[in-house]
Amino acid sequence: MNLAKNKETTTVDATTPIAQAKPRRRIPPVAYGLLVVAVFAGVIGIGMASGTFQTSGKTTAGGERVAPRGETVTEIKGWMAIGDVADAWAVPLPELLAAFELPADTAPATALKDLESDLFSVTALRDWLQARG
Amino acid sequence: MTGQPLVIINDPVASPRDRGTIRRPRRGFAALRGVQGFRRGVQLVVALYIAWVVIDRAIVAAAGAMGTSPESICPFGGIETIVTFLTAGVFVPHVHSSNLVLAAAVLLLAFTARGAFCGWICPLGFLQDLAAGLSSFVQRRVPAAFRGMRALRRSAAPLAVIDRPLRLLKYVVLAWAIWGTAAFGVMVFRDVDPWIALLDIGRESTGLGMVVLALTLVGALFVDRPWCRYACPLGAANGIVARFSPVRLERSAATCVDCNLCTKSCPMGIEVAEATVITSADCIGCLECVEACPRAGALELRIGLPFGGRA
Repeated sequence: MNLAKNKETTTVDATTPIAQAKPRRRIPPVAYGLLVVAVFAGVIGIGMASGTFQTSGKTTAGGERVAPRGETVTEIKGWMAIGDVADAWAVPLPELLAAFELPADTAPATALKDLESDLFSVTALRDWLQARG
Repeated sequence: MTGQPLVIINDPVASPRDRGTIRRPRRGFAALRGVQGFRRGVQLVVALYIAWVVIDRAIVAAAGAMGTSPESICPFGGIETIVTFLTAGVFVPHVHSSNLVLAAAVLLLAFTARGAFCGWICPLGFLQDLAAGLSSFVQRRVPAAFRGMRALRRSAAPLAVIDRPLRLLKYVVLAWAIWGTAAFGVMVFRDVDPWIALLDIGRESTGLGMVVLALTLVGALFVDRPWCRYACPLGAANGIVARFSPVRLERSAATCVDCNLCTKSCPMGIEVAEATVITSADCIGCLECVEACPRAGALELRIGLPFGGRA
């Protein structure tokens, strides 16, 4: 398909040799490739070495499982089991299920994100727990 | 448009007037010699790693265990959550600290090597490259497909006028994604993100994301890297930072033979042959133009201080 070329480039007077205007160091293509890999992998490596590169909120940097503590609603995540959340906030599970019109036979081990509906979401649960005190 | 012939995208053969005076572009496995082989190798390794994460996630999730979330290795998640992280110290749902580290890696790479993340690492860019390669392969072997593509190019020529304004769309998408995430506390771009759709295949992805992914890959059969050109918000952020990079491509007008192969080979449609210094925010650092150039020293990567990316 014919499309116009991007002209968002800077053009200087072609009669002026670049070398005379300002000498610049040439970068061999392979060195450029090595630079790309080194910079990208280097930053990730530093993140991993410092414990910053966490790919899951389910475990701590030490590999321990994160569980709801009932301290602040912002700690509630979609992967958490509804039974664990109910226990942490000292809410009877049937009351919680009824409040969001969830099936009464919902297994306590069900993840919050698997229960999302028009009435229920992690945000809605946070708001409900916050209002309940 | 300029006085130059219209650029042929996904063109499997060089212009006939170029033959005999300059080297024909290498095709197939021959094209993988040199730095392009290096680049394709890096792309392949990253793509295989992503595939492994997705498969591993599916296996461990089926076993009821915890695995690495594929979304946690998306750099754009780190950019989307940057406002909530800086103002409230929290991540929006589906974002982890790894997303921030990856975003930092991409932006640092944009400064040190321009759009190299898009050209060397991004798996979605790699998939589009594969689609474009498939298109060229079919055109070379099926004359009817070649003629059909040529006819399509001619009939679509009037669309050339919307190419440049359409490229600004990705900056709108970037602004919307960052603002929306900060305003609503959820990643508003997630539902239409083709990358998330690919990572979450069969799990949480919405139909809209899958549609965008399908359109992107089908579009790549006709136009090189359509997602990167017009809609990718990560590419937009990359391009903004790359403006300040000291690394740039320079074309020597004295050495250049005006074969136009650099322009034809550019997957992002940059008019390399028209410029002396390439500072386009769309450049993905793939070095296809350098590889295609038949004259040593005519097109080279150079570093210049002070910073600014200007000639």
